[in-house]
Formats: sequence, C-alpha cells, structure tokens
Amino acid sequence: MSDLDDFKATYFDECSELLTELEEQFAAIEAGERDADRLNAVFRAIHSIKGGAGAFGFSALVGFAHAYETLLDYVRDGRIELSDDVVVLCIRANDIVADHVKAAQTGEALPAEYGMDEKARFDALARGESIADDDDMSGEHVEEFDIEFTPVMVNLDAMYDDEAAADDAFDIAPMQLDAGHWEIRFTPHRALYARANDPLLLFRELAALGELHVRPILEEIPPLSDFEPFAVYCSWEITMVSDNVTETMIREVFEFVEGDCDIAIAQLGAAPAAPAAIPATTIAAPVPPPASAVAPEDDLLALADDEVAHLLDFSAEPAAPAPTAAPVVAQDAFEEAPSLSFAELADTIMPAAPAAKAAPVKLAAAAAAPAEGEENGNRSVGVQSIRVDLDKVDRVVNMVGELVITQSMLTQQMDETLRARYTELVRGLEVLAQTTRGLQDSVMAIRAQPVKSVFSRMPRLVRELATKTSKKIKLETIGENTEIDKTIIEQLSDPLTQMIRNSADHGIETPDKRLARGKSETGTIRLSAEQAGGNILIIVEDDGGGINRERVLQVARDKGIVAPDAQPTDEQIDQLIFAPGFSTAEALSDISGRGVGMDVVLSNIKKIGGSVHVRSWTGKGCRMTLRLPLTLAVLDVMLVKVGESPYVVPLSSIVETIQCSRASFERVPSGGQVLQVRGEYVQVIDLAQRFQMTGEAEPENRFVVLCEAEGSHKVALIVDDIIGQQQVVIKSLEENFERVDGIAGGTILGDDNVALIVDVQGLKTSIVHKNAA
Amino acid sequence: MTTLRVLTVDDSRTILAMLHHTLSNAGFEVLQAEDGKQGLDVLRNEAVDVVITDINMPVMDGIEFIKNVRATGNHQSLPILILTTETSQDKRDQGKAAGGTGWIVKPFDPEKLISVIHRVVH
Repeated sequence: MSDLDDFKATYFDECSELLTELEEQFAAIEAGERDADRLNAVFRAIHSIKGGAGAFGFSALVGFAHAYETLLDYVRDGRIELSDDVVVLCIRANDIVADHVKAAQTGEALPAEYGMDEKARFDALARGESIADDDDMSGEHVEEFDIEFTPVMVNLDAMYDDEAAADDAFDIAPMQLDAGHWEIRFTPHRALYARANDPLLLFRELAALGELHVRPILEEIPPLSDFEPFAVYCSWEITMVSDNVTETMIREVFEFVEGDCDIAIAQLGAAPAAPAAIPATTIAAPVPPPASAVAPEDDLLALADDEVAHLLDFSAEPAAPAPTAAPVVAQDAFEEAPSLSFAELADTIMPAAPAAKAAPVKLAAAAAAPAEGEENGNRSVGVQSIRVDLDKVDRVVNMVGELVITQSMLTQQMDETLRARYTELVRGLEVLAQTTRGLQDSVMAIRAQPVKSVFSRMPRLVRELATKTSKKIKLETIGENTEIDKTIIEQLSDPLTQMIRNSADHGIETPDKRLARGKSETGTIRLSAEQAGGNILIIVEDDGGGINRERVLQVARDKGIVAPDAQPTDEQIDQLIFAPGFSTAEALSDISGRGVGMDVVLSNIKKIGGSVHVRSWTGKGCRMTLRLPLTLAVLDVMLVKVGESPYVVPLSSIVETIQCSRASFERVPSGGQVLQVRGEYVQVIDLAQRFQMTGEAEPENRFVVLCEAEGSHKVALIVDDIIGQQQVVIKSLEENFERVDGIAGGTILGDDNVALIVDVQGLKTSIVHKNAA
Repeated sequence: MTTLRVLTVDDSRTILAMLHHTLSNAGFEVLQAEDGKQGLDVLRNEAVDVVITDINMPVMDGIEFIKNVRATGNHQSLPILILTTETSQDKRDQGKAAGGTGWIVKPFDPEKLISVIHRVVH
C-alpha cells in the first residue's frame, strides 16, 4: 500500500506525543500523584502504541508493549501495588518502549534480549503478588504473563475464539469441504435487535455462500395486543446448497449474534435434493438490498396492520408439526412474490423493523448532507484540529511576511503632503497595518509549539547520565508550555542534549565530592524556558562545580586557541568552551566526548538565529543561556546605511543609538577604538571598515548603534545613517548564496533592494577571538 | 444507493487515519471522533449508518459511549462495531453487554473490515 508510509509517519508522530505524555504522567506519579486518571492515561498511551505497532507488524515493540500493558492492567485493577519499585520499573519500561519505537522508525533492530530483564521482572511481580494473594490464582497470573504474543497483521480468524479451536480441526479435515446441503436452524433470542443485529443481514451473508432456502417459523408470534416491536418472534430453518462451504464459514456469519440466538447446523448428504422440492423462498446469491429497503416510517404501520395480521391468522391455526406447517405459511405469505428480495422478505415477515427504523435516520442523513462528502467521500466532524503540511504553512508565513513589508512600505511612502490631502487613504492604511499585524500574529501562532516536546526527552537523558556517571542528578523543568516556532523547536533537541550532557558530566560532582563541599548529595539540573520580548530564553543551569577556568585556559593555550601571553577575563575564559575545536580532551568521558563539543552547539544555535551565553560560578554552578528568536521568518529591525548600502540590525539586540558627535570614543593601544558609555568601555566596530564599504559620511554625521550581544557583552556598531524601523522577512544567505561572516542573512526591502542582516553576536565573537589570539 | 456514513471513534490518530483511508476508498463517507463524548456529539447532529468505536479512550470510553448511544431514543438499531485488541476478550463482552453489534480485531484487514461492515448494515 502506497499510503503505508503516510500512516507510519502519523504513527511515529503519535508515538512521540504518547511518549511525551508518558514522561509527564510519570513525573507526576513520581511526585506522588498516583491516581486512577494518571494510570489510565498511561495504560491508554501504551495501548495505542501497541495498537499501531501491531498494524505495521513491529513485533518486538508489540511484544514488549503487550507485557508492559498487562503489568499496567494489573496495577490498574489493584492486583499489583504501585510501589516506588514498580514506578521505577515502569519508567525504565517507558525508555525501552521509546527505544523500540525508535528502532521501528529507523529500521535498526535491537538485540533480541533487549528489555527481557524488565519483561522477566513483570513476570516476577505478577508471581509475587499472586502468591501472596491466592495460590490458586498464581498459575493463571503467570500464564497470562507468559503468553507469547505474536502480532498478525491480517488475522480476523483469531477472533472467533471459542470456535477457533474446533474450526481449526474442521479446516484440517478436508471432508468438510464437500459440496453439500446444509440445514441450519436459527432461533434468535427475543433481544436480538437490542444490539442492532438483524436476521435479514445474516441471510444476506449466507446467501453469499450458496443457494438459500429460508423457511420462517412463526408459531411464536403473539397476538397483536402482546406484540413487542423490538422483540424477535420468528425463527428460521435454512437450507443451503453450496459447493464448498465449511461449518466454520457458516458459523462465521453468525459470529456477532453468538449468545443472542441458538444455532444448529447440520450437513445432510453431499448430493443435494432438488431445491424445487422445498417449498420455500429461493434466493439467488448474492442479492444486494435494493433502495426500497429504506422504508418510510409509515410502512411500519401499514405492515403491522396488514401483513402481520395476516400472519397472525396462520399462527392461530391448530399447531401442526413445524417442518410441514412452516413451508405452507411461507408459501402462502409469499404467494404474490415468488422471488423475494431480502428487503421484501424483511418487510413481509419481520415484525420488528430495523430497516424501517433506520429509514428516518438515513433520510435525515440525505437531507442534512446533500452534496457534502460526495465530492471526496468523506468528511470530518467533531475534530478540533487539522494536520497541515509544514510547507504549506511556511508558504503562508512567507507571504504574510511579504504583506507586512509591503504594508510598511506603503506607510513609509505616505509623506506629509499626501497625508494631509488623503485622510481617508491614511485611515485605510492604518486599518491595513492593524489587520496585517493581526494576520501575522495568527499565522505565527499556527507554527508555534510548546517546548515541552523537546523538554520531555530530557528526563530520560538525565537518568541515563546519572547511571553512567554514578552521580545523583535531579532534573527540574520550568516553563515547558512556552511556545516557539516549530522549525526552531526541531533544531533545539541536539544542542539541549549536549548542554545537559555537559552539565551532568562536567558540572555536577560525584555525591561524595558534593557532600565534602557541603552540598546535598543530589545535584540539580534546571531546564527552563521563558519568553523575553521577541526572544525565547532557554536556560540550562546546574549547581555543580562550575567551569574549571584554569584548566580551560590551559587547554585553550595548548591548542593555540589563546595566545600564551594573553590574559583573558573570567568571562572570556568561560566563552572559550564555545571556541571551535575546543575540548578538555582528557577529562572527556564517553558521555560528552562524542566529538560533539559546545562549538557545535553554538553553530547549531546560530544557524537558527540564536545565541548562547555561559556564566559560571566556581564551586557553585554554571548557567548556559540560549537566546532564540520566536520565529525564523520575520524580524523587527532597524534599517541603517553603511556606505551606500542598506543593512539591517535586529531590533532585539539594540540598546540605544547615539550620534557620533555626541559619543566619547577613546583610542586603545592596539589601534582600535572603544566607546565609553556610562563608565563602561565598549568595543567599537566600524561596519563600513568591517565590510569594506566606501563613501563614508562625515564622521560627526555618523551614528553609533549600541548593541547587546549575548550575556551583556556590548558592542558599538558605527553606521553612516539610520533610516528607520521596520519588519523584514529573513532569507537565508546560506541557502541562496553562502555563509558570510558577520552576516546573519538577507532580506528584500519594500523598494526591491536587498539588505543584509548584521550578525551582532558573530561580529563580537570574531573580534574577541582575534584579540585573544 | 446512497453513500454509507461511518462514524469512527478512536483516540489513536494512526488508527483513525487507517480507518479513514480504508473506508473512504471503499466509497463510504467517514466521520471521525476522538473519544466517546465527541462521538455522541457527532451522533446528536449527524445521521450515520454504522459506528466503529475503540474501547480504551480518554474522556468517555467505548463502553460508556455504546451505552449512551443505545440509551438515546433513535439509535437502538444503529449498528456499532467495537474495535478491539487481541487481549480484551472481557472488554468485548462488556461492549457486547452494553449493546455493541459486532467487533473488529485490531489490527484490521481492510477487506475484512468492509465485509464486517456489510455484515451489519443494510
């Protein structure tokens, strides 16, 4: 099936949500909220994962999920107590389920013994509990846990439980396949209709198997005064002539009414008697129900008055042996219509009228939805969300971005004269501006997603790290409902993983060391997300030992990242961990030393327009802050001129702008300039020099744009003119051209000119490195 | 012949998607709900010919859902198929006791699914 991949994608999507749900539920359960709702949610999550896995034949996943589900079921009905040990086991089981899901997704098989220990512990739990409980039950419990569950992708026969075993025997015996002549006696219980089962449909199914002769037995029909419209009074004798029908196949037809009727099936000799000899209605197989099956409600009354009364006459006659009486009745009743359709058969002989009752419903359906659904054959009701291809949303986001820009361009074009002359136009433009802004916010909200989906993967990581490093580590998460653009969230997982690894491996000390330092045995890593203006801050903080600056500096010197005689500040040393190629090699374990260093974190974050800052307190801990844009698509910027070219500076990083004539610059020995702002010296970067532009304005007419790079590092950019603020749609330079140092991307302005976006953090970092080196 | 309308009730998007695919390919009109309560809402406003429902669902499970459907005046003869998994024999019994018409075993085979629907719908 070509759609299988789509379904699989849906399934893995769903799995990742369910695994997140599991993490959340168990976080609460661990915290002591052991209520039934949480357990049910956990059970359902595993159940759904298993259900889908079965559909795709992921047998290892199904096997494990099945055993786990059974354990959960026992916990749910109180047979196993939800002790701390069981919670720990469940959390481990969640991880294993996650691994199985991942293996199914990537197609990489896990070792056969993977998760077997846990499975064995499920068994042990079941045994322990049952022995304490009731000796007689123990065998049964164990047996249930020992069931080897094999998923079968197409297996409907498995559901014929009771018959299944017997039927298997029949299937083995070929004699049952003889052409034959079957006699079936079908006696429904009175309440057959209560579950919307209908003898008519059964006959239709049987008719598909062979030639049918159906004789109704009507003795049970009561006088009209006692007549219950929802009860079944008829029973039927059916003769079927068919070339190759097994008893299994016949029983299968009656599967759904099992327990609601008595059935006797007998095979009479292989050579069928002439069907004509049986005076009953003959039905050729198969007969689709004609449209007339849909009887208007009035017909029920007509039928009751006329036909039923007619039938009652017969039933009132002196009792005769059923086999002879019934055919007579049938023949008589059907005299006018020797070849009845099922529908007619139903209308005539079946007092209760599922068909008739269904009629108003169907008519209503037709009336309610005349054209809908016919076009594509489907329609969804009661669903509160839709799933849309991200590409489609991207296109909308992009176009809304362009709209925003056109709108701001229009506004800019309105000079004072025009404003005074065309007040109506001005008002219209204001409304347009508001609407555009609203539209933009709404479109952005479509792609926004809580960071929860990334955060939820971290508890497991921390558990594993704690085990591997023999440390005690607790993870706290804050602000997981903070929303960020989906495209950014996707890029966040790897950097966060690396930062947490870093904290667990290098930051948090071993329990004895912590105790010696007067800290609690258990270290804490706090992962938080918050919105700060147009940015999202994601902070990974630990209460470990902080960055070992001596060591970092030593390594940096050894690797030539820092000149031997340079004396970087503490903050500069801390930032060194992001330097390309930096790693404290010998200190690396297999945890963080996987060739992925903080430099990769930095470049990944920069790729999505963010920045990373680290702060460390020796002996007390370390904090890493990721600053991310809310969205990748649209940026609030200040439009400036460098030389003759327009550049844009992200508004979020601008602290203030100062006219050069009013700024106090000072020369430094290296030949550079610094700016003194309120007692603070700030590195000055002349963008025209930096980008090798000519045609600089008169020095006193130029402007300083004071920007804050990450972590209160300020940098002063000198530009030739300030044009104004606006929003721009970011276009990636790397995708369309190539990566350029100091440039974060490009944008197309309202007048079709291209402006480059200044990468403040990048400029600052390159200068720090240059100076340090 | 009018198009048969099937209401599918399941909290698993995967299963809903697969049911939707199979059923609409077979020419049915498909309505969806993610739990029993949503299912009841749909039935309040829409006429359907057959319901396929899961048992384990949040908010309102399949058993409650079936009971509620049967309790509403004009749905006594609405065929309700229970989508079950291999382990839930007792759930199936409960579903039947609540008024379920028949059952489909997960994972389902498309052809069998269609034939099972035809088995309970006129």
